[in-house]
Amino acid sequence: MMNGPDSQRENSISRRGFVAGAAAGLASLKIAGPLWARTNPELRAGKFGALDASTPGGIDLYIEKQEVRVDEKIGQAITINGGFPGPVIRMKEGDDALIRVHNRMHESTSIHWHGILLPFTMDGVPGISFRGIAPGETFTYRFKVRQNGTYWYHSHTGMQEQLGHYGQLIIEPAQPDPVAYDVEHTIVLSDWTFEDPHTAMKKLKTIEGYYNFQRPTLANLSAQVEATGESLGEVISKRLQWNWMRMDPTDIADITGATFTYLLNGRSAAQNPTFFARPGQKVRFRITNASTMTYYDFRVEGLPLTVVQADGQNVEPVEVDELRVAVAETYDVLVTMPDEKAYTIFAETMDRSGFARGTLAPRPGMSAAIPARRHRPMLTMADMGMMHGAMEGMDEGDETKDMESSHGAHAMNGEHKMDDKPSTSVTYPPHDERRVAPIKERKPLPIQNLPEMVQHGPDEHGAASIAMAMHAYRRFDEPGIGLGKDGRRVLTYGQLKALQTPPDRRPPTREINLHLTGNMHKYIWGFNGKKWSESKMIRFKFGERLRINFINDTMMSHPIHLHGMWMDLYVGHDYAKNPRKHTVNVNPAELLTVDISADAPGQWAFHCHLLYHMEAGMFRTVAVVRDLSGEPIDAKS
Amino acid sequence: MPNPKRRDVTRILVSLCVLLAGGPNAWAQDSPHQHGDSEHAEESPETPEVESQSRLPEAELPAGMTLDEVLARAEEPPPDDYPDAIPDDHLRAFFIVDQLEYRYDLQGEPDAVGTEFSAWFGGDFNRLWLKGEGEASWQGEDFEGESDVDLLYGRLIAPFWTAQAGVQYANVWGGENYRDFWAAALAIQGLAPGMFEVDASIYVTEKLNLLATFEAEYDVRITQRLVLQPRTELRFSARDSDARGIGAGMNSVVVDLRLRYALWREFAPYLGARFEALVFGTGDMAAAAGEDNSRFFVLGGVRFAIY
Ligand SMILES: [Cu+2]
Repeated sequence: MMNGPDSQRENSISRRGFVAGAAAGLASLKIAGPLWARTNPELRAGKFGALDASTPGGIDLYIEKQEVRVDEKIGQAITINGGFPGPVIRMKEGDDALIRVHNRMHESTSIHWHGILLPFTMDGVPGISFRGIAPGETFTYRFKVRQNGTYWYHSHTGMQEQLGHYGQLIIEPAQPDPVAYDVEHTIVLSDWTFEDPHTAMKKLKTIEGYYNFQRPTLANLSAQVEATGESLGEVISKRLQWNWMRMDPTDIADITGATFTYLLNGRSAAQNPTFFARPGQKVRFRITNASTMTYYDFRVEGLPLTVVQADGQNVEPVEVDELRVAVAETYDVLVTMPDEKAYTIFAETMDRSGFARGTLAPRPGMSAAIPARRHRPMLTMADMGMMHGAMEGMDEGDETKDMESSHGAHAMNGEHKMDDKPSTSVTYPPHDERRVAPIKERKPLPIQNLPEMVQHGPDEHGAASIAMAMHAYRRFDEPGIGLGKDGRRVLTYGQLKALQTPPDRRPPTREINLHLTGNMHKYIWGFNGKKWSESKMIRFKFGERLRINFINDTMMSHPIHLHGMWMDLYVGHDYAKNPRKHTVNVNPAELLTVDISADAPGQWAFHCHLLYHMEAGMFRTVAVVRDLSGEPIDAKS
Repeated sequence: MPNPKRRDVTRILVSLCVLLAGGPNAWAQDSPHQHGDSEHAEESPETPEVESQSRLPEAELPAGMTLDEVLARAEEPPPDDYPDAIPDDHLRAFFIVDQLEYRYDLQGEPDAVGTEFSAWFGGDFNRLWLKGEGEASWQGEDFEGESDVDLLYGRLIAPFWTAQAGVQYANVWGGENYRDFWAAALAIQGLAPGMFEVDASIYVTEKLNLLATFEAEYDVRITQRLVLQPRTELRFSARDSDARGIGAGMNSVVVDLRLRYALWREFAPYLGARFEALVFGTGDMAAAAGEDNSRFFVLGGVRFAIY
């Protein structure tokens, strides 16, 4: 684990260099940092330092609104210690973290430590765990660090996250790190708009598909024929069928490159941030998707990636060529620098409307070609839950055929079952968000061979939900929308195996079914058809192990994030190996199951991490309470 | 709200347990829980002493709070001075002028200017709507035209459909004459299968005539910004109305075609054509009055939204 001299250049934090420079950096920041920031109108995004929050004196973060140059234009950003992304914050497992956050803006703010286990009062969600940090105020976060790995932090106030209020968080393990590497680089992927995020929200709320400039048109008919290998007639008939369902198969991202500048460590693709490694060196990329709305497909063109960590948790190494990083997820990957050449770090957005990019090179000034962007993907009938046998859904060519025979009936008759999987279908009762099993029924739930699919219940969840999918089914072995067809090995959730079994792997005894619902025409998002303001607290019993079945009724992917506790993700293999995650991506028409140890008393946020979905109501308050008697409290009382 | 009495009982039980176990940390310790008698379990199945969980976890607590206090706080709504966690019930307003156009008559009749707009104010489910359309033309000194405006309360009743109820004010003018009409209005507006934007309204007039209009439009996307929009509007009346110059049954048909280019989503100039016909009895009445019962226009205008 040696650091070459090159590795200490921009965007690279060497561990040894870090320790030496931390104290000096800290001292200068306290006095000069914010002052300098205010007198520098040409401040450029992508300048960020590193701070060690485990030092006895703690650290200070100064939140300010300033003009920042993003790409070549000036925008109004929220900076942390004068830059965005904010500094990389380091901590040491077992130590206390001490962070003073100074609000130097004219509005309230907050910081949420994403994925961190801590007392609920330190969680940083205004309205749930605290009041927020008023203008001019300082809030001191102090908590014991009980985990290690790559995480991140961000504002949980309004839409501040869109304006640059985020940064990476790295916790050194107390035990020797099972991951061996020579150089370490931080990669914070994000999306930036020069628009006021409230304006963007207003546009989404009033004009459907405002930012989608990739829709099916007459002009791109032939392109679609070419891309799918179907006849013109098939393509047209498919379009008419999507029209009949009042759905847009290109509704992949609500906000696109039409307004977003895609950033890697605050730098645009044109600025090409460069990361250094010498031939033979093993590079650890710590990747955080700090976007508000953008799923990234990450690869280092031409080099295999070994995934070693997901959401801060070590996993059994998996070699892939590409991985999809959902909003708010973190992944650590290892890359071995093979030679003296430059390699392009390419993070293409899921809707293919843009990309973030950097370069891995042995020396400054080098770069490699930018790979061709792939064709924008389209949703398939599989995304409408009109298939079973998950893999069938991947073949676009089959789509029309399946559509003709679909609409529910065919999906039931079981003709195209996958041979190697039990294809049990269940129906979950409606309005089960608050349903509590009586104690005598509180048997351990099965942990293997869970139902492959769930039939949509009788409840359509009202006007706030366009529920097209008759079924939701397991999709953890699928590479995801637009991936898996070009020969690249793509990471799937099914490949994630915890390196060490976490202490609590009891089978759960209680089950909550949550439909992810939305009305994209009106831009209403929620769970079980209800927005946060219409909902009641979801209650977990302190000490219980419980299961949540996410049933995605919508045509969009949602990264669902639970604060304060882990979600153990069911991915079909050994229960002890199920990965532990803070954010799980639920694909369209997917049935995804997580088990949770309710070991964190207090109130917590639980929400879709697409910022605009969250703000539209895809949010619940989770209360971890002593017992479940009595009525849940209204979220807004 | 939770039953306060029930909660008090639970609290007392909890406090007793804590006392018996020797302090607030008891909950964080591994201790075998006894099963209560079954009757008690039926009544209050969630009380901790009957819970079969083998252990309670070690939790890190906020400074200065006991586990008991944290768990009590978890049951409470947030304190009054906390802000709303998610402001998902904002009221918004939207105003769109679908048509603001010059209509050039191809048969030597007077040209016209026309408009159609709609506006709403409200939340996701309940909104106040204003919908209107109008046309005016000049013939020498003669200035004539007609318009109608509906003020409606609308509720989203299904994912694609809004039901609306309210009043309509309509008028017809020409030279010295000005007539106006009030009616009660009921409408259903939304997106029909096939992506047809539909607005169907019925009106009960002061004279208890029943009128109906049906509008449908469809966007054919040629490129991402160039859109061809066919549109139709049909009007019906239950009875003859001399005041309005309409006969029973279907009385008029309008078919439009507009080709617009969206410079922004909020602003799109367009060119188009319009065919309108007075039909059946209404057509006969127009013919008897010496008017053409069908007209053909070419038109140009802008569509824009303000919000
Ligand atoms: Cu979402």
